[in-house]
Amino acid sequence: MESRTLVTRQARGRTVTPIPREQILLFRVGGEVYGIGLRGLWEVLSPEGVTGLPTPPYQICTVLAYRGRKLPLIRLSELFGASPSSVPPTARVLFMQARGKPLGLLVDEVVEMTEVNPGRIAPVPALATLLNPAFFRGIFSRGDRVVLVLDGDGLGSMSEVVNFYGG
Amino acid sequence: MAQASPKGGRTGQSVGAQVILFQLGGKSFAVDLALVEQIIDYREPTKTPLRPPYVEGVLEHRGRYLALVNLRRRFGLTEAGPAHPAVLLLSGVGSDPLVGLVVDQALRVLSLPSEGVLSPPPRVFGIRAEYIRGVANAGGRPIVWLDIVKVLTATEAITLLA
Repeated sequence: MESRTLVTRQARGRTVTPIPREQILLFRVGGEVYGIGLRGLWEVLSPEGVTGLPTPPYQICTVLAYRGRKLPLIRLSELFGASPSSVPPTARVLFMQARGKPLGLLVDEVVEMTEVNPGRIAPVPALATLLNPAFFRGIFSRGDRVVLVLDGDGLGSMSEVVNFYGG
Repeated sequence: MAQASPKGGRTGQSVGAQVILFQLGGKSFAVDLALVEQIIDYREPTKTPLRPPYVEGVLEHRGRYLALVNLRRRFGLTEAGPAHPAVLLLSGVGSDPLVGLVVDQALRVLSLPSEGVLSPPPRVFGIRAEYIRGVANAGGRPIVWLDIVKVLTATEAITLLA
């Protein structure tokens, strides 16, 4: 895993302790901010770069065409229970690798990249969501909010994605 | 904290129970003090996707993360609660190490003497007896001592009547 370490200032006689840092991409879905680890994330695409974006009524998983390839696209708004009537102009497709295969995630807006100590990413409380816990890697706090970090491989284990790849 | 065993004591226990008394929908309830880690002021949680209808979201408190369960919603009360409710931080009540319970108002710690706690009738204020450890009395008002573990792990609707 690519992770940069920040080395604390070495005081005389003290051992240097590297603070592990992982890069997390923050994005918005349905008004809330979520995160995903940079590992396995290939590109952030604007909708013009891809064809086959869903039209209403939206399904959770549709097929996307990109650079001559077809891949499954998970529409996170729908997965999270919303039914928006349109794709916002800020929407982006996170083109990534999940379980070794290409996968697209449609998000409302990319927010920013941030660095988090992976040791700070805590388990998601079971009561927090009825969604498959495998979709989430964990949770961390950011200001007065908490951010759910998605698990790409977990999302890739969704039956629609597995079926797309003939699994 | 042993007390003399009362004659014909119901449960056979001689020790009274320490509970936290709280208000919800105009009624008095109690939960075991041992389950309550702390009582904090309400803070807006982060809304999590596809959460159960009675879960408001997730809160971070001193480095730990907890789901916020709105007891009004869990009990089917449609009226909005007070502007500044209290949150009981409960531990050891389910699969999550910590859960926040939103109640109208936290009142005080109370010692329920065992002889003062009655077994519940089939329903109290609409709540079935299986969710109730007992009914006590404080100044003429009934206190419903909840089995909060059962309330939080049950999947069926529980309806508190006005």
